[in-house]
Amino acid sequence: MEEELMSFAPRPAVQPWARVNTGRRIQILLASIVPILLTAAVILVTGLDRNVALMGVFLPLQLIAASAVGFRAFGRRGVGDAALIVFVVFFATFVLVLLASVVFSLVSQGAQAMSWGFFTQNNRYVSNTTSLEYGGVGHAIIGTLLVVGLTTVVTVPLGIAMAIYLTQSQSKTKGIIRTLTQAISGLPSVVAGLFILSIAITLDWQKSGFLGSMALLPLMLPTIARVAEEALRLVPVDLRYAALALGAPNYRAFFQVILPAAKSGLVTAILLGVARIIGETAPLILTVPISNGTSWDLFSGEIMTLPAYVYNYLGSAFVPSQNRAWGGALVLMILVAILFGSTRILSRSKSLKSKPTKEKASK
Amino acid sequence: MNSLAKASTLSSENISVWFGQRQVLSDVNLVFPANKVTALIGPSGCGKSTFIRTLNRMHELIPGAGLAGSVYLDGEDIYSEDFDAVSVRIKIGMVFQKPNPFPTMTIRDNILSGLRLSGRKIENGDEVVETSLRRASIWNEVKDRLNDQAISLSGGQQQRLCIARSLAMNPQVLLMDEPCSALDPGSTRRIEETIQELSSNMTIVIVTHNMQQAQRVSDQTAFFLADDNTPGGVVEFGATEQIFNGPIDQRTNDYVNGHFG
Amino acid sequence: MSESSVTKPAPVRRKLSAGPLSTGDKWFFRTTSIAANFAFVLVAFILIFLFIQALPALTSQGLPFVYGTEWNTQQEPIVMQIGPMIWGSLLIGAIGVVFATPLAVSLAYLIVFMLPSRLAKVATTLVDLLAALPSVIIGLWGLFVFSPVASEWGAILNKYLGWIPIFQVKSADNGFGGSPFIAGWIVAIMIVPIITSITREVFSQLDRDLINGALALGGSRFSTFRRVIFPTSAGAVVGGVLLGLGRALGETVAIFYVLQITFNINWGQILEPNGGAVASMILSKFGEATQEEVSGLIAAGLVLFILTLGINFIASIIVNRAQPWRKN
Repeated sequence: MEEELMSFAPRPAVQPWARVNTGRRIQILLASIVPILLTAAVILVTGLDRNVALMGVFLPLQLIAASAVGFRAFGRRGVGDAALIVFVVFFATFVLVLLASVVFSLVSQGAQAMSWGFFTQNNRYVSNTTSLEYGGVGHAIIGTLLVVGLTTVVTVPLGIAMAIYLTQSQSKTKGIIRTLTQAISGLPSVVAGLFILSIAITLDWQKSGFLGSMALLPLMLPTIARVAEEALRLVPVDLRYAALALGAPNYRAFFQVILPAAKSGLVTAILLGVARIIGETAPLILTVPISNGTSWDLFSGEIMTLPAYVYNYLGSAFVPSQNRAWGGALVLMILVAILFGSTRILSRSKSLKSKPTKEKASK
Repeated sequence: MNSLAKASTLSSENISVWFGQRQVLSDVNLVFPANKVTALIGPSGCGKSTFIRTLNRMHELIPGAGLAGSVYLDGEDIYSEDFDAVSVRIKIGMVFQKPNPFPTMTIRDNILSGLRLSGRKIENGDEVVETSLRRASIWNEVKDRLNDQAISLSGGQQQRLCIARSLAMNPQVLLMDEPCSALDPGSTRRIEETIQELSSNMTIVIVTHNMQQAQRVSDQTAFFLADDNTPGGVVEFGATEQIFNGPIDQRTNDYVNGHFG
Repeated sequence: MSESSVTKPAPVRRKLSAGPLSTGDKWFFRTTSIAANFAFVLVAFILIFLFIQALPALTSQGLPFVYGTEWNTQQEPIVMQIGPMIWGSLLIGAIGVVFATPLAVSLAYLIVFMLPSRLAKVATTLVDLLAALPSVIIGLWGLFVFSPVASEWGAILNKYLGWIPIFQVKSADNGFGGSPFIAGWIVAIMIVPIITSITREVFSQLDRDLINGALALGGSRFSTFRRVIFPTSAGAVVGGVLLGLGRALGETVAIFYVLQITFNINWGQILEPNGGAVASMILSKFGEATQEEVSGLIAAGLVLFILTLGINFIASIIVNRAQPWRKN
């Protein structure tokens, strides 16, 4: 009785087309491993330079091996496919290895400088040879928060207002404004600094953190405007129509209906804008005098920022200073990663929320 | 209990409509008497939805929109300079084809949203909410969850919520653009019952693809038609009974008997 | 469709006002419109102020500013010419593009056509992370970690392929750090994400039916790529590459410490530590520049801006033309 019942149990899904026969699997495995082993052997035996071996021995061997497998499986066209796959994987891995190298070296080199003191202290009494226990990026963190903060406070309303205009109005200049915004986004960062410098020279202003904030503005504005416009565009147009049909003037329809619906997208725009400028160095070098002490004054005097900090200690021949540069870079990257991660979390929670909940049975 | 608005007579006189240079409607003359339900039927693309949007001045929101003729609400031309579009839309409400409750608001806030959006002070909010939901025949289903998110409702419930939202504005006329076409038969039936209850103190104009629906709910019917590249217009307009059982025009006859469309 | 429309007069269109009606609306549109027009103001300001401060240098140096090869601030009158720098920027940018394009296209192909969707999302995130890395961090890594490795590569190229002119150097003992080769690599790393993201977008918007059609006809991966994917996406990829070039020209800090700036035009010996780049030059000379020199530096920035504007403009035309479905 039970066997008969069992025969009605649902069978696990089978995908006959995805089955790769074991013979082929072994071939692919061999084709991947053998070239590696052979190359390693060649390096050990002949002492050939690693890089030459990679390009001159491994790659050709891998190509041959993969082509052989491809040929056996699919004939002539299998060779083309195999070559394509080998090159694509090789190049892609290359990039990912480079990225991993950046992150790894940041973490490993920067870790040396990490300590609670590093985050909170400044470098007022620190010279090139002072050991890593003393000093830190406290002043640079404060400076970055102030400078970037000012830019953000000015640019965010500007960028969002631009996005509102681009999505809500029917004027004919919209296309030109978009083109201009795109042109601004192509502004090299050093030229942004030169621009503010030009203003400062013309008006005889002193260099200050404020000028640095203004130099960052044209770099932040296009990002915010673009992402905010996309966020506003994503709001379904029938929400606006529904609000207008109820007798709403445009501005109320916007603030009460469209803006709340686009909230997470707008927050993403802000985060991305901040991430874009928080690491910008060149504009600050040109407009902001640096200091080793902590400053809270954006409008006069010297102030240190994280990118300027790294730039400052980068070129030093002294090891402690170089370590400080790594430490500062690591702090900078942590900040960028936090901003970046927040946008991912935001977008994931938004897509979870907008999944339609199961329809309840209507009575 | 605040009194419900008196239903009004709406009429269109020589309405012609353009999108840019293209004329899509020509000379539409219709009368929508108070307390009656009028159905607008016709094949897709013949301008019914465009026409209904001229009745509450939603048409002009489209870039390049053009219009000729007049629409009279109780004898006054809503397109005249004495009226602004916003005040027209408060008096003439609209329910759309796809239910569109405001996703960031609760059920209760959705009902009151019209009042907030038009800048009116909310007195007796709870009363307004209950009255509107009752009129839309959905009070019993949601009375215990007024603070739930509006999008947690099913499609049919959302559409009734949208109807209640429009009713909270106390309109004199209610326009409905294929309100049931995205819904299942059960919800459709319930909304049709609601329409018939509402018409006792409201004028209703409903665009529909569904001829049986038109026959069920409407007192009079207008049949729209458009040939390729010519502007659409009304072929025949009269009591529903007559349109469906004894149409004068041959084209009307063909359409209601399913020969095309 | 009235029958007697022949005799009726043409209907008169009414003026429909969909404009702002209430005072609230008026302010709403006014404020946002002012904000939007700020774009005009900003671009105008940039050009005007840069020009004002660049004018002294431009008038005193004349046209040779752009193509001359001498920069001497010790003599009177001073000579400032950025020819080698412009050439260097273009050379480094070109090298960067040559390196970056196969890398980026491969990444895009991998993500769109080879990886299962979860891994594809991870890979995309990694590429976005690379894009988000500040250039000063890349500069730091470039100087201490990458430069030695790339110098090795340069040495190998010189050793085995040194007979090809571009790989020749004056002396192999100088080391290869500071050469356009290395700077080109670093710039390549920075522009890979741009090219990847545009290529990825094009690949994923390719009509799946086209690809399925090719596969149904017995096409393989490679032939589908060659005959369907590549031709359709080539235009947009070129646009993406140009955008990357525009970005590469503006790179300042990433290659600053890696370059050795000399005022000789490095015609193409990419392994030779010779030449420079406009952006990095500006930064390097800025610290001790006199007022005259600052004007020259600003002039250099203006030239660079115009150059990148031009390239970005062409790039966006190509991208928009090649992707008509993209509403920009």
